[in-house]
Amino acid sequence: MKVTIAKVDQNLFSGDAISLTLPGSAGELTVLSNHAPLITTLNAGTVTVRTKEGEQTFAIEGGVLEVSRNEAVVVL
Amino acid sequence: MSGLKAIKTKIRSVEKTQTVTKAMEAVSAAKMRKAQVRAISGRSYARAAVTILSHIASSRDAASHPLMATRPVARAAYVVITSDKGLAGALNSAVLRAVERDIATLGLSPQNVDIIAVGRKAHDFFAARGFDVAAYHPNTAEVTTDTMATIVNEVSHRFALGVVDLVKIGYQNFISTFEQRPTIHTVYPLSLGELARVVEGITPAKGALSENGQGNTSTKSGGVTLASVGTFDIEPSPEEVLSVILPKLASIFVYHALLETQASEHSARMVSMKSASDKAGEMEYKLSLQFNKARQAAITREVSEITGGMEAMATQ
Repeated sequence: MKVTIAKVDQNLFSGDAISLTLPGSAGELTVLSNHAPLITTLNAGTVTVRTKEGEQTFAIEGGVLEVSRNEAVVVL
Repeated sequence: MSGLKAIKTKIRSVEKTQTVTKAMEAVSAAKMRKAQVRAISGRSYARAAVTILSHIASSRDAASHPLMATRPVARAAYVVITSDKGLAGALNSAVLRAVERDIATLGLSPQNVDIIAVGRKAHDFFAARGFDVAAYHPNTAEVTTDTMATIVNEVSHRFALGVVDLVKIGYQNFISTFEQRPTIHTVYPLSLGELARVVEGITPAKGALSENGQGNTSTKSGGVTLASVGTFDIEPSPEEVLSVILPKLASIFVYHALLETQASEHSARMVSMKSASDKAGEMEYKLSLQFNKARQAAITREVSEITGGMEAMATQ
């Protein structure tokens, strides 16, 4: 699954990931490969990206997640 | 002899000016590159946000959202971005004139236009013409997300409350080192087509950082897809998602306008400093010629005086 996490002035993460855990507006959710198309707002919290190399976390204040075609995009 | 000395002093001062303009040229060239790289690094964000909006817009009727609704224009706000400093050719005056013309086409009187000025030149220009300069931000050396957020808040607030019915942004678009074009975009009401154009325009048309050149840092290379792909689950509701994402899209407009202006400012200054250096070189050449002529004339005159004196002595 391809994951992109971007802020207006910089790209925080871009690459392949196994899973993505985010603070969704309706509670915490984890996105795995081939997730159904989804658009949701995000609450303040921590985003965790698990890749083959390990885990990376990002603190966020809110944003939007879009999942489609095996690709997750987080706009902060 | 005083003529000679005057010319010599002039040559020195021209030389000194040339040193300064050459240094300014080099500094501007470095700054321009930096601004360009920053502009491109924000591109994947812009694309992602536009794609998300296109999915929501096509799945539900987004045109009814307050930030996307078109209203009859009774009062407008213009965000005008110029530089703080001069010595950059026609850079600022081109933007200012373009905005003035654009306001004229709306047929609004200066009292019905709010100006949000970024850069001293924009402030001075519109304040002198009786416009209401609602906010002023200096155009500092570094584009910060704070400045951007403040401007976005100012305009979003005005538009959402119905104080203004139209928000436009005017800035200098960086096309290549030798070409910048004054550009005006509509920020509110937000339109998908306008946004897609801005996002596509982020990469300069020519030069090392263009799409097919080297040093391309964008992660996605394809164009922005405006078509809908499948049906999305939208949580909590399309309205809520739009309320979050629309101000983010407006911030893309503002952020890129700030960066484009910065890149344009530095490249315009670089070009005008280059021509100043060239002109100084030319002047130095002309003055040296004049100096040598004057020196020759002085020598000739002295020689003829001496020979004349000798002649006079010999006839006695």
